[in-house]
Amino acid sequence: MSDEVNIKNKIKANSSLFINFVKNAITASPTVQNNFLDVTAQVALTIQKIIDDANLIVNLDYKGNDFWLKNRCKTSCFIDGGVDRTSIISSAPLSIRTGSYIVKPDAEDKNREFFEESMVFLGDLYDPKNELYDLSDDDFDEDQMLNKKKDGARIIFEAVTIVKHILLNRKFDYCFLHGPIEATVMPFTVMGFPTFTKFAVENMLPFYTKNKLNAEARHFINVYLEALKYIKQSKFPVYGIVETSNSAPYIKNLLYTYKSKGIISDKDFKNTLSTIKKYKITDSHLLEIILKNGQALKPLEVKKQIKGFSVTSGSAWEDKMESFPSVYIGYIKTNDHSSPIRIESLTSPVNFKKDFEYILATARLLPNYGFPVGLNIVDKFAKIPNWMSKASRRYYATHLLKQAIKSKDQNTISLAVKILSRKVRSWRNRPLGGMAR
Amino acid sequence: MDTKKWQSIGTVLGETNIDHFFFSLKNYKAKKGDIITTESKIPSSEGNIIPVTVWGKISSIESSNAFFPTEAAQELTNENIDIRDTILPMTRDELICKVIILGYTFKNNLKLLPLNYPVRPAATVSYPSSEDVEALLISDLGSKHPLFIGSLLARDAVKIRIDADNLVSRHVSIFGMSGSGKTVMVRRIMDELLKKQYPMIVLDIHGDYLGFIQKQKKLYPNNEVKLFYPNLSVSSEDKEIIYTLIEKLGNSLTDPQKDFLSSLLEKVKYEGGSLLKYIEILAFKARGFASESSTAFKNIRPASMYVAARSLGQVAKKLKNMEQTNFRHRQKMANLKFEELPDPATEPEKIIAKGQLSILYLKGYENLPASAIVSILLENLFKHRQEVEEEIPPFLTIIEEAHNFIPSRSENKDNIPSVETIRKVITEGRKFGTGVMIVSQRPSRLDETIASQCNSQIIFRMVNQKDQRATTRDSETLSVDDSKQLPNLANGQGIISGQVVNFSLPVQIKFDEELINDDIGNENFITAVENWDEKDSVKQRKKFAKDFSNISSIDKRKAN
Repeated sequence: MSDEVNIKNKIKANSSLFINFVKNAITASPTVQNNFLDVTAQVALTIQKIIDDANLIVNLDYKGNDFWLKNRCKTSCFIDGGVDRTSIISSAPLSIRTGSYIVKPDAEDKNREFFEESMVFLGDLYDPKNELYDLSDDDFDEDQMLNKKKDGARIIFEAVTIVKHILLNRKFDYCFLHGPIEATVMPFTVMGFPTFTKFAVENMLPFYTKNKLNAEARHFINVYLEALKYIKQSKFPVYGIVETSNSAPYIKNLLYTYKSKGIISDKDFKNTLSTIKKYKITDSHLLEIILKNGQALKPLEVKKQIKGFSVTSGSAWEDKMESFPSVYIGYIKTNDHSSPIRIESLTSPVNFKKDFEYILATARLLPNYGFPVGLNIVDKFAKIPNWMSKASRRYYATHLLKQAIKSKDQNTISLAVKILSRKVRSWRNRPLGGMAR
Repeated sequence: MDTKKWQSIGTVLGETNIDHFFFSLKNYKAKKGDIITTESKIPSSEGNIIPVTVWGKISSIESSNAFFPTEAAQELTNENIDIRDTILPMTRDELICKVIILGYTFKNNLKLLPLNYPVRPAATVSYPSSEDVEALLISDLGSKHPLFIGSLLARDAVKIRIDADNLVSRHVSIFGMSGSGKTVMVRRIMDELLKKQYPMIVLDIHGDYLGFIQKQKKLYPNNEVKLFYPNLSVSSEDKEIIYTLIEKLGNSLTDPQKDFLSSLLEKVKYEGGSLLKYIEILAFKARGFASESSTAFKNIRPASMYVAARSLGQVAKKLKNMEQTNFRHRQKMANLKFEELPDPATEPEKIIAKGQLSILYLKGYENLPASAIVSILLENLFKHRQEVEEEIPPFLTIIEEAHNFIPSRSENKDNIPSVETIRKVITEGRKFGTGVMIVSQRPSRLDETIASQCNSQIIFRMVNQKDQRATTRDSETLSVDDSKQLPNLANGQGIISGQVVNFSLPVQIKFDEELINDDIGNENFITAVENWDEKDSVKQRKKFAKDFSNISSIDKRKAN
């Protein structure tokens, strides 16, 4: 069987890729439908050759019983953040927290595991007294910006949680974050994105005093950069782990390296990148075919924040992009049927194979999901539960209506009811008081 | 009662009502069956808002660990990994308890009142002290004559008492599988009632209560414990019972044969006395009428008379056998003094007297004769209680293996004599002080009318679903949660519900070791075989058996 046919069969047999393929087939034009499989197979074949040439694939060892007996003495910390996405027109409540699950299997019962609510913020983004974002600087209070502000807060909180553990001199063997170790900061470079309050920054990064914490110093970009620099100094390895990759940083970087070495021509490089973009081919897609269960890809250094993007271009933050640390990205295929998980770190891993084997072992404890179980556990812990969001929504609604009724102004009451009616139809069909006419 | 000293063990969860609530329990702080409290506020009848203590019983506990994924268990099993070696969490068990609300108390008045306003969600749940729980149970029971029976299943320190007055007048049923603790319970109640000089009669089929005779002097010096064996004595008024006995024990008869039997009973007068003797007289007379080809019986041929005579002979033979079997069993216990059951019609005071326990030892008797004996006995004793003179005091009848005496209609045995008698005694027992305690391992096989007359139930381990259904059907106070618990009860653990307690309680019955009958072994058949020594008669038979066998093998002649 030729390599190409083999890869095609792998694509067909692979469930998640096949689903994507079907999705593409439904939405794409007939021409694309016809050649999607051929293109993906050809790209995979080419990438596999390069990966083989670069000797990037490593077989990881895992023997369940044996592994855990040897590693029961290790202390691991798993971190994740949770945000309540409640929003109604009149307010922007923000509940955000990060949780840490710290576990040392061989410790005696009471010291074996800790669930720690590491960072918490409860407030309203419209409230001028809120202690997170400085509203005097906030030009963006439309709805869409609210989500961006919430995301910014979550990213900062997660990073700051790692910082906090380092500051507290915690003795971890490993620290894992659910999500990228370095998020793409581009969305937060837009003009007028609010700065954090002085109070917030002082509390999050007590060592950070740049420019006496003026507005620029308190901007997301600067605060996040400062947190990342601190994490980079950590004595224990810190990894960000991402479930599925929606982009192709590893492949693109690999192709770039080969182009730089002159092994690939500029033209081939550009054309291939264009094909990857057109066909929405991601690292996950290709590596799912290339890697076998229990195999990993050696980490490659990748620049995440790239100067010259259309959004950052011309922004005051464009030059700052260069200051962000490079990220080391590797992959592990944890089972037969899931996409490989992406492993990110801010430093080049010293014991890459050992560390990746540990990650694989934690993922094997979820044999179907194939994701590190510690992150799954902390995800459940940090998540703002639905009942809490529901309760807070109900509270806000009741409060708003009470205030409106208190005002005794019919227009205010109508407005409150309108705000609380989720659909226009329910507003139109609202019960009207008085006699039917 | 200092509620502030009670330990906080959990928090009431979201939705509550006046019957039950759920709460989140701290690890290892309470068990199923425990009595707990929560402080709440309710509107009083005067319209004020008053703080009250709500009492409840934990009816179920569910534990979950949301942080332990199911598929992790798969990997642990497949790879033979010890969870303690991994990073999986072991301390995040979430315990949710369901609480059945028993009622509320106000200030220091320990009388439980029905709750008519839901408990407060998010309120603290407390674990009252054992003394306070016991005080509540005693105060709430308000019994003049409490009987100690054991301790609360979940808390050994809480002693449980039941109300003797309701027990002896309103009837009680004790159900449970064989070996689950029924007899232990009965013995416990008997012990308490004996101390109160309350008369009792026990229908003992297996000899479970002979321990009372053996230990009488030591444990009950102020009581009389009598051991009777049945005397099948009948009076002329018991014709119905005699006819039923002959009909059921003898050969099946055709209609003319039955007519003859009926007429025979009319003709052969009897002053009263031994039933066996009377049946032998009947058989003799029947043969006489047949041989004379008597014309005293219209349209009945001698052949029919002979058949009836043979049937009577059959009945006499069976009764004799049963008497002999019972006799042999009695002989095995030569150290016990058995007395013939006095005539309940003329000498009831010998059976029922203040401070006396009478045990009627029925071993060896088939259902029907035993039923007849019980029917005649109870019918007469009941009559004496009905009379104005009241020759005997109120008493309690304990019916062991009750399905033999009061079978359900579905068993097609409902016309056995004791059913009707016990039905009467139990229905009118409250008026005349003839309480009944029904003990059975098969409640589904009991007469529904009789079982439903028992106002209290003590239920032990029960696995059979038919029996579980019958139990809940007959009980007004046993909840669904209680019945779910039945298959999981251990020996001596039971649920008491009904009028002897105010709300159902899971109880560990106190085991009275000294009341075990020393002459009955523990069904240890393996040891019995290990120590088996053949009887001399068997040895003799074996000695000659080979010789006789040789004779038969060489005998070639045809039989004449």
